[in-house]
Amino acid sequence: MSNPPVIAPPLDTESRPATARPQPPEPRGFAAAARAANTVYRQVDGVDELPRPMTEAELATLGDPMAELLLRRGTFPTTLPALLEGLAEVAGRDVVDGVFLISESGQIPPEVAPGLRRDIRFAIVCTVRGRETDLLISAGANVDPARTFLQVAAWDERAGAFNFYMRSGTTWIWAGDSWAALEPETRGRGCFDSHVNGGVVMKELKQPWINWQSMSASIRLAADAPLRTDPLYQRVEGAEELEIKMRGLVGRWTAARLSRVAGGEAVEHPDRLLRQLLTTTTVNLTSTETASAAVTRDLVLPSGFWLNTDLLINSLHLPAAHRAWPAVPAAHYLRSLTNFGFRLEDPESGFFKSGDTFFAFLVPEVADEDNEVVRQMVRRGLITARFAACALMVDFANPVFSPARAALMRYVPTGTSPAATLGESIATAIVTAAAARPAGSPEAQFAANWALAEDEWKPEFGRRLTTYLDAVADRARTEAGFDDYVRLAESRRLDFRDTRLHEFALTLPVTEIARDAARLQMNADGTVSTRV
Amino acid sequence: MTNLDAYAPPGGLTDLSPEGRRLWSDYIAARVDDATSGRPQFYNLLRTETAADATEAPVSWTAFPRKIKLNSISDVQRWDRADAGRDVQDEYCEWSITRDESGKITRVTFTCEGPEYWDVLAKTSPDTALRLYQEHISPEVRRSDLFDPAGEYVRENRWNNSTTHGAMHLIQAANTLGAEIELAAAASNRRVIGGVELTGEQELINCAGYGDPERNSDPHIGAVVNSVARSRADVTLADPVGLYFDDLATDGWAAPDGSDPKSYWTYVRGDANHPVRAVYEVPADRGFAVGDLTIGGEPIEFGAQIADFITIKLVAVACRFGQSTAEPETSCIGSGPVHTFLPGRPSRATRSTRTTAAATV
Repeated sequence: MSNPPVIAPPLDTESRPATARPQPPEPRGFAAAARAANTVYRQVDGVDELPRPMTEAELATLGDPMAELLLRRGTFPTTLPALLEGLAEVAGRDVVDGVFLISESGQIPPEVAPGLRRDIRFAIVCTVRGRETDLLISAGANVDPARTFLQVAAWDERAGAFNFYMRSGTTWIWAGDSWAALEPETRGRGCFDSHVNGGVVMKELKQPWINWQSMSASIRLAADAPLRTDPLYQRVEGAEELEIKMRGLVGRWTAARLSRVAGGEAVEHPDRLLRQLLTTTTVNLTSTETASAAVTRDLVLPSGFWLNTDLLINSLHLPAAHRAWPAVPAAHYLRSLTNFGFRLEDPESGFFKSGDTFFAFLVPEVADEDNEVVRQMVRRGLITARFAACALMVDFANPVFSPARAALMRYVPTGTSPAATLGESIATAIVTAAAARPAGSPEAQFAANWALAEDEWKPEFGRRLTTYLDAVADRARTEAGFDDYVRLAESRRLDFRDTRLHEFALTLPVTEIARDAARLQMNADGTVSTRV
Repeated sequence: MTNLDAYAPPGGLTDLSPEGRRLWSDYIAARVDDATSGRPQFYNLLRTETAADATEAPVSWTAFPRKIKLNSISDVQRWDRADAGRDVQDEYCEWSITRDESGKITRVTFTCEGPEYWDVLAKTSPDTALRLYQEHISPEVRRSDLFDPAGEYVRENRWNNSTTHGAMHLIQAANTLGAEIELAAAASNRRVIGGVELTGEQELINCAGYGDPERNSDPHIGAVVNSVARSRADVTLADPVGLYFDDLATDGWAAPDGSDPKSYWTYVRGDANHPVRAVYEVPADRGFAVGDLTIGGEPIEFGAQIADFITIKLVAVACRFGQSTAEPETSCIGSGPVHTFLPGRPSRATRSTRTTAAATV
């Protein structure tokens, strides 16, 4: 449903990704004839069966710049230029902080694939009030502004949340706020199938920001592409700057969220927080920084493929003693492209290209928004660094899609719980249960971790990580070992492919591995086996 | 439009005497002349008119050295390594850190001034050079610290050779304006290999052999310049030729008193559009120091943490779009084999253009 950069789903078919799951051209029951002009509708999927006009009282609760400065004043811009113009008028200045560009087909030379839909989108970051980003826009870039999708995520300081809007025809629809992403009846529905935890989204968050225009790669346009003359295109900046902004926004929403649900002596719905430690609520996509067509020497695979490095090493500072990230000989990588039948396919246009994605070895990794919740929980003392580490070291070789860590969720309370003892009480529950569970069970793994002395857990975990990284570094240099990692990577990509985050045919490579193949797991000794 | 009369000092700096300005312009003009050889779309602003259809093409990149990032296993390790010496700060931005007795950072000074400018300044206005060192680095700087017994300016003098005792201008071997000019010129040649025109950052630098493919800056500069050249335009570096600070982003930063972290970032040399020296420092009366600010919740303990958020830029200018008749290169001169994202495998040869030791004035 959603467009990767910022917010929710395109409503109009004209700009919908070629292989996105079927979408109605308009919200259900929202025929053009039935629309009232200059009216804000609401359709929070899971709550509102049909779009309906918002009452004045409801509108008054929206405290973001989109609502306060435009919609409540009767301004209903229907195109991206009109929206920016409207914001500039009320702000008395240009509000645009950055214009960014993304396309999954952005590295395919236009002249060799004229029939391929480019699906180029703008992500625009604005500061309308104050000194911090408070409004983000996502819109089609290479299509008629009046017909393409137009979506807004706007920060509501009063609510401590983003409000999500989409234009439909000549009206705007409020699709909910960040908090709705967390409520059972709306979680995963509507725009929250991509704004899974209520924040803004940049899936390809790290260098080389595959699919984005950046200092690592530029999106290719035909020499006569009309987009070249678009004033917004003239302002496009590199995704390296968007990464900074998005990380800041994820941090801001997380801080607001924790202040509300854990600001006092109790924590509301601890399970909604702890699932971001123990499960994979969503993912980011990462890749090597080497173009797949330019792999001529050892290819350093993405660190997030091996571990949750951002948390374990960068935040919790576990002392892994390896000297470099594991790398694979170029010959192994190149051979794997043939052996596994790597290709890019767009069924709608018939586009086909042998080989990997533009940057090599694209895989899902732990989402920054999951990690940020954990970082801030530790910082606030809701859980200790030791608790987080003990949990993450359960099945640590599988940083995403780990059934073992997810199994620990059963010990996390769902009701309001004392903040001061949250981590301790969960640990006690797991340790107690471990007594009746077999060795090697998630509970037993956690219990063994938790039993380590205060001055021992860090060095011990560091030793385990070092042993593991040594093992995978050795295996990655063998043909059989690397082939296993190719299969594991594809297994994780298939898991991602099954989610609603996967929208575009060219996001992932296709291989000869069957889509229903048994899912795989990494083992701590560096071997790969069928997921248990 | 007419030809430029002279190349201006970087950042609109006013330190140079008339003689110094003349020498400076001569130096840049000579470097550009050198670089135009075999690069028909690259031109000298003094010798060739910039046409009315001129368009500027800014190029920006992250200041933190990518090579360090690629070869480190944690953020702390890469920050520590980048702070350890100027020789690894190779993205046209270098810095020096001041700490208090407890080790807390109180000030970080960043520079993107090319060393060649200081060669000219020290040669033509040595007193001014000394005064600037005393103003920006330390009142304790003495003439003998900056000049050898023969009176020659020492770029890597004791006040400009570390990350702890000051950074007056760039000294990393590849961080020179000469390198910048050569890189842009080399990238201005279009390359059609096996019938396919190269456009990507990595395939271009691998084929053309300019600069270091593992930096943030070089591949990106080359790709942007080449993209302009592919429009069959003439291209060069805009006057004043130089490297400049583009911005410091402070999203996710926090000060202990809630003040704006960006407010502690100050440009102290260069004009508003072309800053060449920046300082990150909290005024003493605020009651806290740089090391008390946080980025993503973590305190600033390294100067390199700030470099993660700095972008450096240069500006190319292009004109006569669609008019160039220059034929593209059809073979590679880079040191590495090149492939394109489509079928076709260019040939290989050896040549490297981003120098590791710049020409001096």
